Amino acid sequence: MNEHDQFRELIEAYALGALDANERAALEAHLASGCPACAKALEEARLVVTQLAYLAPPAEPSEMLRARVFRTVRADAAASGGSGGGSLPMQAGSQPTSVPMWLWAGVAALLLVSLYSTWEARRMQQEVVEMNQHAAAELKERKQLEDELTVAKHEAWILTDPSSKKIMIMPSDKSMPMVEAMWHPKMGIYVTAQQMPMPKNNKVLQLWLIPKTPGAKPMPSHVFWPDANGKIGEMVANPPEDMTDTKALAITEEPAGGSPQPTSTPMWVGDVS
Amino acid sequence: MFLLAAITGKYGEGESSDSALVERFLRKDVSAFEQLYDRHSRVVYALVVRILQQGSTAEEVVQDVFLHLWRNAGQYQSSRGPFVPWLLTLARNRALDQLRLKSERQRRREDQAEEIPAIAQSPDYEKALDEKRRAERVRSLMSSLSAPQKKAIEMAYFEGLSHSEIAESLQEPLGTVKSWIRNGLLRLKEGLQTAS
Repeated sequence: MNEHDQFRELIEAYALGALDANERAALEAHLASGCPACAKALEEARLVVTQLAYLAPPAEPSEMLRARVFRTVRADAAASGGSGGGSLPMQAGSQPTSVPMWLWAGVAALLLVSLYSTWEARRMQQEVVEMNQHAAAELKERKQLEDELTVAKHEAWILTDPSSKKIMIMPSDKSMPMVEAMWHPKMGIYVTAQQMPMPKNNKVLQLWLIPKTPGAKPMPSHVFWPDANGKIGEMVANPPEDMTDTKALAITEEPAGGSPQPTSTPMWVGDVS
Repeated sequence: MFLLAAITGKYGEGESSDSALVERFLRKDVSAFEQLYDRHSRVVYALVVRILQQGSTAEEVVQDVFLHLWRNAGQYQSSRGPFVPWLLTLARNRALDQLRLKSERQRRREDQAEEIPAIAQSPDYEKALDEKRRAERVRSLMSSLSAPQKKAIEMAYFEGLSHSEIAESLQEPLGTVKSWIRNGLLRLKEGLQTAS
């Protein structure tokens, strides 16, 4: 028996997978050398070996297995854009392998409701923000009106109350208008004027209370300026000095923001006592 | 040279042949795959159950085999042999891997390089014979073998044992076991040829 015949005798067992390691290695080396007869014999032997599968007792795979395999394959095909053409009807008892239309419709409806709810919630949230801003603006406006009303009431009170003292604050320059002040002992001072010129060089007007005490420094009070029509209506709710301790009221021109002490000669002076 | 009689499918009028289905399946036609599954899953499952002796694990392996088939359709080449023997070889290899309790890592490594060897291709081989008749014929041919001869072949095929392991298990000389197996397979081959 030559070498080829020796290998030929191993072919069937090799196809069966029954060769031990050393024989298997030797045969594989022979096959790798390109022996056509052995290669053909091996293909035939493999075909014979596969027929041994039919010796297995008959057995039936479950419908669940079939459904699992089909479901996975269809999902794979759908994901990869394959034919997905699983058009075979499912066998009885098998699980459906595709999502029914009603379920898609339900999911779509749920998605729409969810999107609408989100949009509606955001819209309502925006409305609440706007309403809060509107309410805050109205509150601010109301507070301003209340303040203005309070001032107006004070002004009216000061102007009409008999205990108020009228003080004429006279200009040092006769061409300038006169300033009038009404001082109520408890409500404060209300200063009014007409046709007042706007201070130049970005300056403002500042009211001073001149104490009766000799040598005492003037007490700084409100800073103000006329409106576009030259009108002044300034309420000094809390004067820095009592009327009884005040000798005179004076008005000077001061840098913007006012000064702790007068930086210029008073342009208007009015005797309180 | 004429080879083996038998096997692969005879199908009714209107039914596609395996080769036609395989051709469509290779183009990722789900319907063709499902028909192939319905046609061949029983013999694959029976083989795997016989090897593993456990239904639940067998189902996992069968699922693995068919999903591998679907996802690696390109691995099958009709020029290297008919489809069903190729499928049975794949299933047997997977089942024996499971039986040997190979690690998952090792299995994955083998999956990546898995190649089913070429199996004889013969026009005669495609002669009509349904699965049931095919099984009857193989059993009939095997029943003509001696009981130890049949046992040795089954131990090699279904249990993946080598000559030495079978000899040790049966407490028979190694040369005897080798002869049993070779002669038995040759007789099976002759029987299949005669049947054709």
